This record gives sequence, structure tokens and C-alpha cells, in this order.
Amino acid sequence: MNIFKNISNSIKALGDAVFFLGDILKVVFSGRVRWPLVLEQMYYQGVQSIVIVVLSSMASGVVLGLQGSITLQRFGAREFIAPLVGLSLLRELGPVFTAFIFSGKSGAGITAELGTMNTHEQIQATRVLGVDPVEFLVVPRFLACILVLPVLVIISEMIGMAGGYVVGVCHAQVPSAIYIRHTLQSIDFVDFFSGMIKTFFFSVIIAWICCYQGFFTTGGALGVGRYTTRAVAFSYIAVILSNALLTMIILTLWG
Amino acid sequence: MIKVEHLSKTLGEQKVLDDISFQVASGEIVAFLGPSGTGKTVLLKHLIGLLKPDCGSVMIDGKDITQISQKKQLEMRKDFGYLFQEGALYDFMNVFENIAFPLREHSSLSEEQICQRVREVLEMVDLHDVETKIPSELSGGMKKRVGLARAIVLGAKVLLCDEPTSGLDPIRSYDISNLIRQVVKKIGATTVITSHDVENSLRIADRIAILNEGHIEVMGTREDLLSCPRPFVKEFLKPSSVAL
Repeated sequence: MNIFKNISNSIKALGDAVFFLGDILKVVFSGRVRWPLVLEQMYYQGVQSIVIVVLSSMASGVVLGLQGSITLQRFGAREFIAPLVGLSLLRELGPVFTAFIFSGKSGAGITAELGTMNTHEQIQATRVLGVDPVEFLVVPRFLACILVLPVLVIISEMIGMAGGYVVGVCHAQVPSAIYIRHTLQSIDFVDFFSGMIKTFFFSVIIAWICCYQGFFTTGGALGVGRYTTRAVAFSYIAVILSNALLTMIILTLWG
Repeated sequence: MIKVEHLSKTLGEQKVLDDISFQVASGEIVAFLGPSGTGKTVLLKHLIGLLKPDCGSVMIDGKDITQISQKKQLEMRKDFGYLFQEGALYDFMNVFENIAFPLREHSSLSEEQICQRVREVLEMVDLHDVETKIPSELSGGMKKRVGLARAIVLGAKVLLCDEPTSGLDPIRSYDISNLIRQVVKKIGATTVITSHDVENSLRIADRIAILNEGHIEVMGTREDLLSCPRPFVKEFLKPSSVAL
């Protein structure tokens, strides 16, 4: 009996989430976007995430370079560190890692903020004051998320490649000019483009999940913690699953 | 004028409001009293269209607000003021911005006129030098005063107050109750207050209703209530009757 109840609750929640996304899109496409609030949110979500993105992408570029150099040296192909690092970052690691970091930091922040507002009746107060809370509180966060994540991914990819370059040149002794030439030769526009398509989907998914969880948070301080954790967990799962699906589609279309 | 007819609402398994009907005349203050969980806040949320009833109607100045679209409801709420239990002030705005928010959203006043109007309502709620404070720096009583200022800044025709004295000490409760009556009589707003503060409600309201298990046990003037023979009403008013 409980299983059926859980399934029906999950279907209802999914339906609510779809309607919620519909409300967001309605505001966006009717042009009721408050751009100053979007810019403010872009600062909070983007600028304040740069340090953590730079540090983690530098570390992943370095680790990728080190592991790659050890493996490729066995086959006498250490100069191929450059394409390994570049392609891995552009196609997979850059978008996915950055999406994880972003949902853990900014996504959690969105849910906690909206959740606290809801438990303190500020969302209801917005309605009472004759203002649509989706337009005033949700859409700015949603759009900022979509605009900021691609920029963070590009920064992450560049820093990651710089990390790989340092390891390739200083540790694996690949000449700098060769490293750069191999990087440029191996990367096509489609590699960058496919990563950006994924990033766009990830940003929509994270923004949707985190805004939805925050907007419907109940249960006081405990509820805020619970919904925030849930938002991050759902975002991770959704990013992983959609990445698998998108990779299949992209590889089928562009190879 | 507010006219509620046969209003019923069930939340989950519980029937929170059960066939409630009443009227509030223009400029009148009506207080709904009752123990916690008797549907006072749910009733208030119906009056402003935040909840849709299972059946019944809520007429505000002749318009049934349960039958209008969400967009029209947002429009209609410009004439309403709502004082939340905890104030529901925006954390990310200071006092001035909180009060100025409805003016910026719904009026075409210049920034200078907005400043003037905000100072005017702060004066009305007896607050000084708080414009730049953020809500977390305010006491419970001050939050309620700022909440009241925000509720009336557009010149509310209808004012709804949800537990305005909850969480306050007796002196602050007395002050805020007086302030509500004073402000309401000044702006001429039709006012509905929900509370379990018997003393202050009997003092400031023109009429009082007692809610019990989703229905109105009794509604009338202070004298009507004090002379009501029903056991629940007698029991509910007992602690305060000595003080009165």
C-alpha cells in the first residue's frame, strides 16, 4: 500500500514540477524578466563560485595530466597528454565537474534561500503584495543559473587545460610548442560545442530542481536542510543520467 | 464590505472551516478568536484568495474573489494589507526597501515621493531611525510595526491581521493592538484580525467572533460575548473576564 502511495506521490510531485517549469517559462517568454535582479543573482551565483571552480578545475587538469603521462609513457606516447587532457575536459569533465560544483554551491544556495523565504512566509507575502513570486524570486535565479554555468564551464576548461599544460611541460617534459600544437590540432569546434550543449541542459536541470525544491520547502529549519540536501542529490543524479543520454545522442550525431 | 457565505474547507483529512457565513461592514474591525488550530489563519487566507474554498463564496465589495483568475487576484490585492504573524519582511531588504516595495511595484510615485510616504507610514506606526536596519536587527514588536507599515503603505481598503500580538509580552501586545485600532480608524480600512489574545481583541474590535472546530460559535459585540451562555464561550473567555 505504501509503495503505491509513494509512487502516486512521486508522480504528483513530477507533475507539480512540470507545471512549475511551465510557470517559469510563461514569465520568461512573456518578457516579464527583471534584469537587474538577474544580474544580481549572476553575481552571487557566478562571481562567488569562480574561486572554487578555478581550484577544482586546476586540480582535475593536473590529476588528468599526471595520470595520463604515466599511462601514455608506457606506450611511448607522452606527447598525447595534450589531446587527452583537452578532449576529456571539453567533452566530459569540464561540463560535468562544473555542474556538480555549481549545484553543490549555487544550487544549494538557491534552494536554501527560497526555502527559508517560504518557511518565513516571504513567498506568501509577495503574493499578498500583489506580485507574482515566480517572476520576482524564481525567474531571476533560474535565468542567472542558465547564463552563468556556461561561463563557469569555459573558465573551468581553460584552467583545467592550463593545469594539464603545466604537468605536460614540467613533469612529462613535453616541449611547450608541441603541447600547444597537439592541443589545437586535436580539438574541433564540435568538441567544444557538444560540451556546451550538455552545459545548457545541466544548467536548466539544476535551476529547475533547485528552484522547485526551494519554492515548495516546508517544515521550518529542518525542512530547509532536508530540501536543500534533496535538491543537490537530485541535481547530481539528473546531471549524471542526462550526461549519459546526451553523450549517446551527441556521439550518434557527430561522432 | 466583506461578505462570506457558506465557506467550507478541508485540509488533508480535517474539516478546517465548516459552513462559515458572516459580514464585515466598511471600516469595521472584526476579531476572530479561538484556540490554536481552529482555522483562523485558514479563514484569513481565504479572504485574500491565497486558498480556494471547497464551497462557498467570499465577496469583497460585491466581487466574489473565489471566482476570479490568479492575475485578477494579484491586481485586487493592491487594495489589501496583510499583517503576517512574524511580519514576513524580506531578509534581503532593509526596513525602508521593505516598505517602499509595494509603492515601487504598484505606484508611479517618484523616488522622493516614495521616501516621503515611507516616512509618513513609519511615523504612523511610531517607528523612528530604523529605515536602514535589516529585519534581523529588529525586535518582534518592531517587525510587526514594520509589517503593519508595509501593509498600509498603499492605503489598504481591507486590512487582515494574522495573530498581531503573538510572541509579544503583555505591554507590547497592548501597544500593538492600540496601534492597529488607531491606524485602522485613521485610514478607514475594513479590518479582520485573528488572534487568541482575548483581552486585547475585546478591547479594540467592534465585533468579535469565536471560532470552534471550524464553525462560528458566537459573533457579536463585546457585551454580546460576555453575556453569551454557551459553555465553550464562557470557558474561552474565562481567564480574561477577571481582568475585564
